[in-house]
Amino acid sequence: MQRRAFIQLSSFLSGGWVVAQLVPLPVFAAHDPICFQPSPLIKLCSDGKIIVYVYKQEMGQGVQTSLPLIVAEELEADPKQVIAEALPYSPSSGFNYSTGGSTSILREFMPLRKAGAAAREMLIKAAANEWGISVDNCRAQKSRVINTTTNQSIAFKDLIAKASALPIPKDPVLKNYKDFTVIGKPGVKKNNIRDIVTGKLKYGLDYRVPNMLYAVIVRCPVMGGKVASWNKQSVATIDGIVELFEMKEMGDQLETRSGVAIVANTRWAALRAQKSLQVQWTYPAGSNEKSSATYFAEQAARLQKAPDMIYNEKGAAVKDMPQPDGEWITASYQIPFVAHAAMEPLNCIADFSNGKFTLWGGFQNPGKTASVATKFFGLTSKDIFINLMPLGGGFGRRLSADYSAEAMQVAYQIKRPVQLMFTREDDMKFDNYRPASSHILSAKLGADKKPADWLHKIAIAPVADFLLGMKGNANWLAMEAEGGSMGDMYYAIPSLRSAVSRTPSPLVEGWWRAVNFSYNNVVIECFIDELAKKAGVDPVEYRLSLLKNMPAKKIKDGTLFDPARLSAVIELAAEKIDWNKKRGAGRGVGIACCFYNHAKAYTAHAFEVSVSKTKKIKILRAVVATDVGMVIDPDGFANQVEGGFVWGLSAVLKSEITLANGVVQQSSFFDFQVARMPDVPALEIHIISSNAEPGGAGETSVPSVIPGLMNAIAAATGVRVRELPLKNKGYTI
Amino acid sequence: MPEYQLTINGKSQPVEAPADMPLLWVLRDVLDLTGTKYGCGVGSCGACTVLINGKPIRSCQYTAAACVGKTVTTIEGLSEEGTHVVQQAWMEINVPQCGYCQVGQIMTSVALLQTFPQPTNEQIDEAMQGLVCRCGTYARIKKAIHKAAELGNK
Repeated sequence: MQRRAFIQLSSFLSGGWVVAQLVPLPVFAAHDPICFQPSPLIKLCSDGKIIVYVYKQEMGQGVQTSLPLIVAEELEADPKQVIAEALPYSPSSGFNYSTGGSTSILREFMPLRKAGAAAREMLIKAAANEWGISVDNCRAQKSRVINTTTNQSIAFKDLIAKASALPIPKDPVLKNYKDFTVIGKPGVKKNNIRDIVTGKLKYGLDYRVPNMLYAVIVRCPVMGGKVASWNKQSVATIDGIVELFEMKEMGDQLETRSGVAIVANTRWAALRAQKSLQVQWTYPAGSNEKSSATYFAEQAARLQKAPDMIYNEKGAAVKDMPQPDGEWITASYQIPFVAHAAMEPLNCIADFSNGKFTLWGGFQNPGKTASVATKFFGLTSKDIFINLMPLGGGFGRRLSADYSAEAMQVAYQIKRPVQLMFTREDDMKFDNYRPASSHILSAKLGADKKPADWLHKIAIAPVADFLLGMKGNANWLAMEAEGGSMGDMYYAIPSLRSAVSRTPSPLVEGWWRAVNFSYNNVVIECFIDELAKKAGVDPVEYRLSLLKNMPAKKIKDGTLFDPARLSAVIELAAEKIDWNKKRGAGRGVGIACCFYNHAKAYTAHAFEVSVSKTKKIKILRAVVATDVGMVIDPDGFANQVEGGFVWGLSAVLKSEITLANGVVQQSSFFDFQVARMPDVPALEIHIISSNAEPGGAGETSVPSVIPGLMNAIAAATGVRVRELPLKNKGYTI
Repeated sequence: MPEYQLTINGKSQPVEAPADMPLLWVLRDVLDLTGTKYGCGVGSCGACTVLINGKPIRSCQYTAAACVGKTVTTIEGLSEEGTHVVQQAWMEINVPQCGYCQVGQIMTSVALLQTFPQPTNEQIDEAMQGLVCRCGTYARIKKAIHKAAELGNK
């Protein structure tokens, strides 16, 4: 038999499934399996392997575990035979490789089901032809097609050649949810777990290429500052230095700093030189005088003036800045800059040879890195190849392309492969931080004690100022207001206004796990508690009363918001924490909820705490109720919810980035504090699983942790804290 | 460059490295044992933890010279295929997310279980508090340590 590769790529499924470029397979050796691809994302082979190509990046959230389950379900394949592989980056693929916003499952669910179903129908048809019977007398199960009359069966792997010759069904029939045997079932383990626990998994920083050099950069500690001079003699005694050269700033959307690159034969030589190299800087006027205090003062002053943008306004006009006339209840909240601090510091290997770049590393948005080749180096998109490696944490930081752009700049200069590494200190001091923001919330209660008028003003620099190059663009202020938490107020309030003002940031900002929900949702859920207290109504009752009888509605971004689902998680969390139980002095319960519109998730966290006179917090119980619709991999989902809890605890209790003289003050985990094992109580997880469209977990599990704990502390102490992190107010855990 | 006779994962071998190069980089960049991870370089996160004479040590704070005459065990020496009880427990509890810190967590746990074969939650907290996991898998790590204690007792 003549060996050939069966490749069928088609655009039969909508939603970006067009593959513009067919890549010819290499000539097959006699022992190579026959394979076919009924869609660009699935390859079935005669050796029994079923490969699902995952173009979303694996950073711990489990896309390489959960997405193949969706294919296995519709394909009726044994999930153990379904292997995930990272799809190589191709700018012409039409796929959106960018991975963030808890949207991978939400977006991939239907396309992957259709792909799996199409492949299943082709395999069944091939078997039916083989037996000379109707497809109605066949079914697929555990990677075999079964003749339902005779109980004969043929393995998928033995049907590959015949199936590949069949037309790809345009409209395959999907399974009924009630017949699901893979999706939503427990016991799934992370796909690469053995490689992780044996240390074999290679992250970007573990990779080496032949002839590779090592680079670090001494960057200007103050944003906007520039290299004036550097003293080569200061590193003259260090063996192994290959080259020192000045790094150019790469401008908007990359936001790299001026600095000096050190390229060496060994990493240790580069690291030693980084400590020793003497560099003189020049700073733009005032840039080296900026501090967190001056920035927050600027935000506070800005909030007293008319806003740059009114995002949402309804009902009777709310005065912009209500005077404290005894009827208005007003509170100011302040949220700090925070770092991502993923455990694998930023790094990237770059090689520039024969006019082309080759990269190795972990990237949440490889497309942005690829665009550096065209925008900065004047190449075409064909002149860059990116090897996508697992990420040692992303959390939004690796959506940026500063680290890969710098690696490319170094490789371009030295014409040899080079691994650029950020030390932890670099990673901490040159992060793209979660924005710092200041908020004024103001409300007037009606006769029914519910908020009749509501005002939320925020002063912030939008992330888009930096990563999308939108400094000064008024429209992008909306990005900081949009979302269930601020502009689209989810509680029934007849008259409201949400407004945003820009305060240009002294630090580069980026998207951080839970993005604007990590501030807007926090302050709203705290302020609602404050209003409940003024109204003399129980906080759970208060929330439920503001959601009661509200019909489901589309919010500004088109997402359907179902108040009943939000009420349900509040009620469940309250029930599980034993909300109405009488508690002694120094103890309290608190609750908060979040509708996370990007990822169609409803979450509520409830805490029971005791707080000592010395402000020592003990979290006695922590409960989460969450509804993201259908859950694909329950244990992987629970792991995300547990992780979101820890992420939130760090933010509420300990983490902040501060600025003094224009320089970030934190440099490692001893001064950028994060939650550690003794800080983290058991989390009781309650999942409302349904057949609703499956939403996301990574970000959605974060926001309500923060106000939930703040509300519990306020209930226990009678004192409302309105600044994060709590450690700055003397609280410890 | 000085040469040191080091015993790593049961194998005694000469290793050439600058005197001030931390063991972390000796392992990773000289010996290509990349299972041991760089997280901070200043002993604040525990990602680089290895066992030296069975004790958990931050390899970023240790030199090759200090290892002479001692045994060094890295994740590569724990077991080839993940058969050590701690690795087995980690897989059974499905601990990791991104996985980057887990090697340090596992090595620290191995040492803990040698000191306390049936550790209490407090002993686990005490032993593990120097380690950071940004994905937030602490609860699973704790569960897996108890599981490893159970498996090791069988």
